[in-house]
Amino acid sequence: MIFEERQVEKNNFSIRATLLFGLTILGLIAVLLQVFSLQISGYTDYQLAALNNKNYAVPVQSLRGEIFDRNGKVLIKNEPTFDLITRPNLIDDIDSFLEKIQPVIFLSENEISKYKKLQKEKAFVNKELVLKKDLSAEEIARFNVRSFNFQNAFIAQRYRRISDYPEIFSHVLGYTSRIENDFKSMPEIPRSHWKDIELMYAHGLIQGQTGLEQIYDDHLSGQHGQRVYEMNARGQFVQPLSFTQPVKGLDLYTNLDIDAQKSAAKFLGNRKGAVVAIDLESGGINVLYSSPTYSINELSNGMSENSFQSLLNDADKPFFNRALQGRYPPASTIKPAIGMYGLSNNIVNWDFEMKDPGFFTLPETGRVFRGWRKGGHGKVNLHKAFLVSSNTYFFSLAYQADIEELSNHLSSLGFGQKVCLDCFEEDPAFVPTPEWKYSVMNAGWVKGDTVNMGIGQGYLVTTPMQLANYAALLATKGLHIEPSLVALANQKKSLKTWNDKGFDNSDWAKMHQALLGVIESDYGTARSIRDLKDFQVAGKSGTAELVSLDSKEAYQEVRSSELLRDHSIIIAFGPMPNPRYAVSVVIENGESGGAVAGPVAIEVLKSLINE
Amino acid sequence: MNKPLQKIYFDPYLFFSLFLLSTLGLFFLFSASNADISIVSKQLVYIVVGLTIMIVVSQPDPDIFRRTSGLFLIFSLLLLGITYLIGPEINGAQRWVRVGPFSFQSSELLKLALPIFLANFLFDKKLPIQRKEIIISLLIIFCCFFFVFRQPDLGTALIIACSGLFVLFLSGLSWTFMGGSFILLLISSPFIWNILLQPFQRQRIATFFNPESDPFGASWNIIQSKVAIGSGGLFGKGFGEGSQTQLNFLPETETDFIFSVIGEEFGFLGVLLLLSIYLFILLRCFYLALSARDRFCRLVIGGLSLTFAANLIINLCMVVGLLPVVGMPLPFISKGGSSLMSLFLAFGIIVSMGTHKKFLPQ
Repeated sequence: MIFEERQVEKNNFSIRATLLFGLTILGLIAVLLQVFSLQISGYTDYQLAALNNKNYAVPVQSLRGEIFDRNGKVLIKNEPTFDLITRPNLIDDIDSFLEKIQPVIFLSENEISKYKKLQKEKAFVNKELVLKKDLSAEEIARFNVRSFNFQNAFIAQRYRRISDYPEIFSHVLGYTSRIENDFKSMPEIPRSHWKDIELMYAHGLIQGQTGLEQIYDDHLSGQHGQRVYEMNARGQFVQPLSFTQPVKGLDLYTNLDIDAQKSAAKFLGNRKGAVVAIDLESGGINVLYSSPTYSINELSNGMSENSFQSLLNDADKPFFNRALQGRYPPASTIKPAIGMYGLSNNIVNWDFEMKDPGFFTLPETGRVFRGWRKGGHGKVNLHKAFLVSSNTYFFSLAYQADIEELSNHLSSLGFGQKVCLDCFEEDPAFVPTPEWKYSVMNAGWVKGDTVNMGIGQGYLVTTPMQLANYAALLATKGLHIEPSLVALANQKKSLKTWNDKGFDNSDWAKMHQALLGVIESDYGTARSIRDLKDFQVAGKSGTAELVSLDSKEAYQEVRSSELLRDHSIIIAFGPMPNPRYAVSVVIENGESGGAVAGPVAIEVLKSLINE
Repeated sequence: MNKPLQKIYFDPYLFFSLFLLSTLGLFFLFSASNADISIVSKQLVYIVVGLTIMIVVSQPDPDIFRRTSGLFLIFSLLLLGITYLIGPEINGAQRWVRVGPFSFQSSELLKLALPIFLANFLFDKKLPIQRKEIIISLLIIFCCFFFVFRQPDLGTALIIACSGLFVLFLSGLSWTFMGGSFILLLISSPFIWNILLQPFQRQRIATFFNPESDPFGASWNIIQSKVAIGSGGLFGKGFGEGSQTQLNFLPETETDFIFSVIGEEFGFLGVLLLLSIYLFILLRCFYLALSARDRFCRLVIGGLSLTFAANLIINLCMVVGLLPVVGMPLPFISKGGSSLMSLFLAFGIIVSMGTHKKFLPQ
């Protein structure tokens, strides 16, 4: 090659080499820019992504707060035991597993059958299932040296939600039930991680299902902690990174009174009914009892499906909270309310007298409304009408009432609405109005309906809670406090004042006098309970008819069927003259109010007053 | 034979930068392999042997490579053929030839043999290169590409094709010809996509363009690599502290994705240092190519160093998410004897071509 040509070639090469090397340098710059955008601009995102890759947060269950009565005695506590815990979803052959573990830890027939049953029922949802609870030190030692044989069983301390009074407080305290996860309380933990939760309770992740456990669930449940593990790409835990302690829930101080509740349960016995008692000074509910009842200990800690079903299907409906949801005609206990209406509206006054022949005839139709006593009570004024519970007097009073105004009046006393601040599923029950009757029964309101309401029969229904609230209103002369179960410091007590221009202090005094006479005088309908106590009690009893009958003879026929017998009702407050407690008692099919429900009310008042 | 000590042909710039690079690589490999000493010590042996090969190979006059280039190419192709027939199948691909305890990736040699052969074929041709020579060159390039591609090893095949095309381009391929073939390639791309590419290769390319479509499947590698690099930040998480690497979220840390390990543990500054060393090596090669004694040496230095550059850029772009995933190691850093040996061999030849000056009359 000649020199010139060589020079041309060399230049040509230089240009082309520069081009290619330039391109590679551009490539390097592109890479550097991309790395810059990843490491500097996108750092926060990618750092988070790397953390999310390796960090695996697991919730740690918190203990629930405990529940106390008004004297600081514990009603529901967390009871720790050492339990033998199994992982039921990992055990393939349950029989051989049980056979293998029998020599190490003794299992009774009952425990085995219960475990097998629960295992079958719940194997797919349970992370843990307790095989034997409350192990002895010896059993723990025996298991520990052989634990390598049982990969899917281990011993650990677990808590149980336990009440020392599992039956008598069941409706008011309520029970807890298992939930799958609680991610609403910890949105930062992915839902799928809840399967790895560290449990504190033998029954798993629980939340309040009924009663105070449900109403105050947020207050009681505390804050779950979390443990963060470092996890590798295969999903194995490498090491724990951090641990946040769970925060135990706050304790709950209630107005309930163990002794009074015990009295209510004891004296109601196995009859169906309800007792509610209210502390007049604070509005605190001291007693809220419904019978029949069930064990919250069993329900809260894993009841078998069968037992649960049999409770559900029980004809006496033990789950039904009669104190808050039972709808009963108030019967004669409504008479003070009707009397208040008559006085406020100048239909009657304390001096007005009428003759009680034992029945009232509706002028429009001639329909006869009978009193409870044949022949009547002779001449009655309002005071005597309360004492002897004259139906005729109140028939006649109600006859002159305007139904709209009467309904409003009853509503102002708390009927037809929820009266408790923090009760679980309280039923507002019902105060009838002409509109209601027209829309539901497609019939017009007739005078007879109003007359029936005068003695608390007919469409008007109330709950024992409302009756107790009503008793409290009467006892405090209209200055009662809205009832509540829990005495929370920050909870404002709301004074529910009832007043009416036509009903002044002297009316209140006379009303108290009359209601005192119902129990304490020789003529009172509830005088049979007069001697059960050493303080004075005012009240009004009632007998709610379930079937409307014209004669005593007809009732004798009905009596033979227990479920059609009259309900026995009383409202009472004492000790007079400065009452501190009000109480209501309803006993289903108990018949005569004063004599049947009365003693229960007195016993409850006694245990509240004599503390 | 009684001459004074012969001159040692040696380029200190390349030698020390490669020494630095491969030594740093040992540290990176230590972390990437979760502190596997046996892998690191094996790599150390390769580096020592490689540096020795480099020095030895740079001693003879470039003429010897020119004269043996034909034999070298035939030998490389034969080796490839043997692999094809008897090589063990690893991950569905036959790439390795086993000699005693050593196994060698046979296609690595072709990366050297092809550009040297083409440089020899083209260095004395008149400018511009005639159509006949172009066609012969392209045929040879295609044959080499095809053999490796069938292994199947798309990454190496592309690099081999590049190594040949670089030489062809540097030796003066006409611009009109290149323009025409580029258009032809565009037109035939659907054919290449549908017929030539294996399903897994097609999927890799597809997931590259839409990585979120399948975060736990094929695009896992790209996503985890980006997370590793991005989470390194400016200073990195520290040696052995990269969670993506140490907890195995990052795949293939010792080979293809070792750059992500560096990015995660040493951050942007580490990356900057590493790329500076690579840039320095490339610039030194560029200088040697321009100042080489004749056209043959220029073409060989250009072809070999650009092949190294392509290898580097493809790996980097793949790992940072600028290119689809193709199997390609990071030169001088990734684990693997074959790659290291052929790289040191290539740089030995480069040094030889760059340091031997014009024939001096004896």
